[in-house]
Amino acid sequence: MRRRRWPVADPNTTPYVGRAMKRIEDPRLIRGEGTYTDDLRLPGMVHAAILRSPHAHARIRKIDTTAAKAIPGVVAVLTGADVNASCGLVPCAAAIPDLKAPKHTVLAGDRVYFVGHAVAVAVASDPYIARDAIEAIDVDYDPLPVVTNAEDAVKIGSPLTHPDLGSNVAYTHNVSGGGNIDEAFRKADRIVKHRLYHQRLTPMPIEPRGVVASYHTGEGTLTLWTATQIPHLIRTLLPGMIGVPENKMRIVAPEVGGGFGAKLNVYPEEALIAHLAMRLHTPVKWIESRRDNAAATIHGRDQVGEYEVAVKNDGTILGLKSKTIADLGSYLQLLTPAVPTLTGLVLTGCYTIPAVKMEIVGVYTNKMATDAYRGAGRPEATYLIERLMDVVAQELKIDRLDLRLKHFPAPGDFPFPTSCGLVYDSGNYAAALTKAKQLANWDQLLKDRAAARAAGKLSGIGVSTYVEICAMGPSKAMPAGGWEWGCVRMEISAKVTVITGVSPHGQGQETTFAQIVADRVGVPIEDVVILHGDTSVAHYGRDTYGSRGTAVGGTAIVMCIDKMIAKAKTLAAHLFETTSDHVVFENGRFTSPGVTNRVITWPELAGEFYVAKNLPPGLEPGLEASSFFEPQNFTFPFGTHICAVDLDRDTGHVKITKYVAVDDCGPQINPLIVEGQVQGGIAHSIGQVLFEQTIYNEDGQLVTGEFMDYAIPRAHDIPDYILGSTVTPSPINPLGVKGVGEAGTIGATPAIANAVMDALEPLGITHMNLPMTPEKVWQAIKTKT
Amino acid sequence: MKLTLSSTVPADPSRVFAALTDPEVLRRTIPGCETLTATGPDAYEATLKIGVAGLKGTYTGKAAITDQRPPERLTLSFEGKGGPGFVRGSAAITLTADGDATRVDCAADVHVGGLIAAIGSRLVDAAARKLADDFFRQIGSALP
Amino acid sequence: MFPAHFDYVRPATVEEAVKLLAKHGDDAKLLTGGHSLIPAMKLRLARPQVVVDIGRIANLSYIRETGGAIAIGAMTTHADIEASKTLRDKSPLLAETASHIGDAQVRNKGTIGGSLVHADPAADYPASILALDAEIDVVGPRGKRTIKAVDFFVDLLQSAVAADEIVTEIRVPATAKTVAYVKTEQKASGFALAGAAVVIGPGGVRVGITGVAATAYRAAGVEKALAGQTSLTPDLIARASAQAAAGVDALGDIHASPEFRAHLAQVNTRRAIEKALTRA
Ligand SMILES: Cc1cc2nc3c(=O)[nH]c(=O)nc-3n(C[C@H](O)[C@H](O)[C@H](O)COP(=O)(O)OP(=O)(O)OC[C@H]3O[C@@H](n4cnc5c(N)ncnc54)[C@H](O)[C@@H]3O)c2cc1C
Repeated sequence: MRRRRWPVADPNTTPYVGRAMKRIEDPRLIRGEGTYTDDLRLPGMVHAAILRSPHAHARIRKIDTTAAKAIPGVVAVLTGADVNASCGLVPCAAAIPDLKAPKHTVLAGDRVYFVGHAVAVAVASDPYIARDAIEAIDVDYDPLPVVTNAEDAVKIGSPLTHPDLGSNVAYTHNVSGGGNIDEAFRKADRIVKHRLYHQRLTPMPIEPRGVVASYHTGEGTLTLWTATQIPHLIRTLLPGMIGVPENKMRIVAPEVGGGFGAKLNVYPEEALIAHLAMRLHTPVKWIESRRDNAAATIHGRDQVGEYEVAVKNDGTILGLKSKTIADLGSYLQLLTPAVPTLTGLVLTGCYTIPAVKMEIVGVYTNKMATDAYRGAGRPEATYLIERLMDVVAQELKIDRLDLRLKHFPAPGDFPFPTSCGLVYDSGNYAAALTKAKQLANWDQLLKDRAAARAAGKLSGIGVSTYVEICAMGPSKAMPAGGWEWGCVRMEISAKVTVITGVSPHGQGQETTFAQIVADRVGVPIEDVVILHGDTSVAHYGRDTYGSRGTAVGGTAIVMCIDKMIAKAKTLAAHLFETTSDHVVFENGRFTSPGVTNRVITWPELAGEFYVAKNLPPGLEPGLEASSFFEPQNFTFPFGTHICAVDLDRDTGHVKITKYVAVDDCGPQINPLIVEGQVQGGIAHSIGQVLFEQTIYNEDGQLVTGEFMDYAIPRAHDIPDYILGSTVTPSPINPLGVKGVGEAGTIGATPAIANAVMDALEPLGITHMNLPMTPEKVWQAIKTKT
Repeated sequence: MKLTLSSTVPADPSRVFAALTDPEVLRRTIPGCETLTATGPDAYEATLKIGVAGLKGTYTGKAAITDQRPPERLTLSFEGKGGPGFVRGSAAITLTADGDATRVDCAADVHVGGLIAAIGSRLVDAAARKLADDFFRQIGSALP
Repeated sequence: MFPAHFDYVRPATVEEAVKLLAKHGDDAKLLTGGHSLIPAMKLRLARPQVVVDIGRIANLSYIRETGGAIAIGAMTTHADIEASKTLRDKSPLLAETASHIGDAQVRNKGTIGGSLVHADPAADYPASILALDAEIDVVGPRGKRTIKAVDFFVDLLQSAVAADEIVTEIRVPATAKTVAYVKTEQKASGFALAGAAVVIGPGGVRVGITGVAATAYRAAGVEKALAGQTSLTPDLIARASAQAAAGVDALGDIHASPEFRAHLAQVNTRRAIEKALTRA
């Protein structure tokens, strides 16, 4: 990658917000000084290992734990029969009408239904012995028929993932919006049809999951450290599982090494390890192995759909119909059935499409559950609409950019109500497209492609113009509330302690929030500390997912700062012997022009607040404010990605020769962090389009359970990105920010896939499933030449 | 996983058939066989230490011989499990006279699970072929 | 990823190591760089009772000229081979091959002896070892013997080195600069889906192929098609390379079908020959 040089800001004159600052959290992480769950060592701590099913579907005839229990150092060996009654059911928070849900116990009951299903747990004095113990457990399985393909699973006569449910269909969800869809299709000159497949993906955070639980028998209090994105939601949901009341439960998310949605969940192990600590009266640690992470931590995507677009010959799109089969895996995790329905929310992308109809069928198969994975629902929708735009343009022989531009709402059309029922907050889609074309040197790119093609090469250009949903979200649209909480406290020493209810795990909010606070409170950034991820510190919160941290959590902090400054002004006014409305606050200094020349700074004021000898009547001591922010809408970031590729005819390899992304996430608090998020997001897409894929064989065996077989992008797969931005503030929050955690992944997948398909177009190849691996590309070329 | 293999054993079909159904011969010829005991007519329990090169695992399991039509055909069904996972399946074995020797054709349907399935079918497939080859070679040399 | 229990011994000399192997038999396993053995132990696919760490035996890591050949100590790391000036000057194929192995960490720890004995069907060195017609010295209870490259790779994950023997030295001939190794990586592991190593010399063209079959092999068809040819035209190279997987039982898995592996063997053979010729 080329090194991008950022302007060096003069710290005395430039505000922190807007500066490309390096992340405050990085030095400790880079030096190995962060404390992850596996770094915790508590006195008397024992270690758990989980025995997982090697069968995709089987009845458990018998489990014999005698030999395992006899191993010296083994503390306990327990099965579902021992623990399930005390651990409750693993929760699913998605409210879908008529949802058929299997009972999801912490350990398997008399049946396992996917490879990796937890069957028994062994606890021992060290993790080696714990592994020896699970090896010594003898399970007698009676294999049952397996179904691993969602399209097969809906056919009559398919093996059933849950025989007691009578069908593999978990739900059918219909959405329609805008005008009359039948009429739209009747009026069309042409119906363009396409089928698209979104492969299953493994999120692969670099840190697998892990849990440490400690129970204080005397107090009846439980502390649970877990590698999670959502300590607060766990504190809401775990009490119902293990019977410790919420106010006696402390959940800590220590340093968390990536989540990508995979840690936006309440997992069986969180209840199980808590239960073991209570049962055994000693702290228990469980750390997931990479293999277990691949098998028993949620997967993403796995949807296949048939789509139809009703168009006029001039390219006007009248309507869109979609029928999607979503593979849910074998049971429901926290949001499993909801994720495919998110696709329905942005199906129309950034276009005016007057009528839509979508049917989503959620299906059970003998695989790990799918759930929210980076972008959750929006990458699926964006890939779908952006591929379709290209297919329509190609069939009608019109320019694909013109087709897009023709359907963009104009900047004056915002707030823009869509046929899918959302109201997009703000946007200028054409501006992002224009800027991306400019950065890509579009005309030259077209010339280069023409020259390459003339020379017999396979060269392609792909574009995607996307809009997505961030800042989740208004509580009415979120299963467990979408508000966020924050607290800002000025200590007696004038240091600022900020507590946020979001739970960053790589997003860099220790830096961005400190930038916001330092500017607004008028203190050096070194004096600001951001605390998060511990429910005993951050009492309330809705955590981190759906690109909500800054837009929702940051806003709660801004509200706190405003309250704190208002309170500080009351005291300043008292000291100036005037009224608050005559106090001016600027850059950390309180003055009262025309009243006095005196300047009061934070150290003086903070001292007064805590010494509390000179407070006006009615003013409480202490300088702290907390706030809940309830957003009135989501935010809708957007952008344009352009990708150019060359294909190797002989080997099918795709080489990205140019990558341009223009993302509009509103004002950027820290452009360096924004760029990092976009870069990482595009890397995810490179993986998804070109090689990543979670594969179960026909027996339901997971054959991509290791980095030896599951390909994630490496540094040398990443081209030299050209990144730019436009800035369209959101009216939804005072910062105007939108969110950028998932944008890269949402915008990039269709751009790269469209580029590959564009390269293949001269050969008459119009369809290829993701991932577009060298072998698939080679096979496609071979059949056409 | 479907596997088809063939091998030539230097003995006539009836002797090969007899060997394939003789626990004593089987114990000596099955690669990595540590114990083999008959639990009934044509039903066995066995412990095998198998794998490729240094990557060996110990499996315990059952095997049964059915559909016997001496000296032409038999079906072997097996299931075994061990630390690295499980193996189960069946193999239809046909014997055809080929001069002084016997051509042994084996069509197996093998299901593997757990770690052995996960570490890559490439190795499992090749390892299964190798084990079968070794077995038939051993049978050949075990025959007097 | 916690291995099963094992004992650890660290002999100071090859002789001592040979004795330990003789004593523990099948229960013992040699350890050098640990980059094949330890992953297998962590998965509990390999469970030696005794690990005999020979990685620190001092005098087994070297690269030196001996007559017309270059001798490489078995415990020389991939990184040292990659960086060796002697090899780059006198026999560059192995250094080029080493640069394709894994990443920097793997190359800093993994050794040529360990890689060869492990005999992974997708490892990189075997192609070059075959194309170079290398010789491998082993020491065991029966003394020392030399194995020729063509006899070395016996089967899947199985070399001609017996369980009680230790590889001590690999010798490759000095060659011209007209050598090349071209590899298509398996995307996840970085090992070879198909790797072709080519040595073009006065005696003809030798081609080693890895990743395609259960063991690496010499592409006899290609070599024959090019034998005695004075002018290697693009057309001739293409025709000869088409034989790169002829008669070979190609492996198939989720990463590549047998057909694609065989095809890549052909493409990479052609590209390796072309590349080698540009170095003339
Ligand atoms: C992430 C990763 C990526 C990799 N990528 C590649 C790749 O792209 N290409 C590639 O070719 N390889 C790759 N490898 C494998 C790597 O090259 C190993 O280092 C090598 O295969 C084994 O060498 P070692 O010294 O580490 O041997 P060890 O792991 O210590 O031993 C391997 C085997 O050889 C035996 N052994 C070791 N030394 C001797 C000796 N002197 N005499 C007799 N027996 C001995 C051991 O007992 C053991 O059975 C990769 C490995 C990893 C972990």
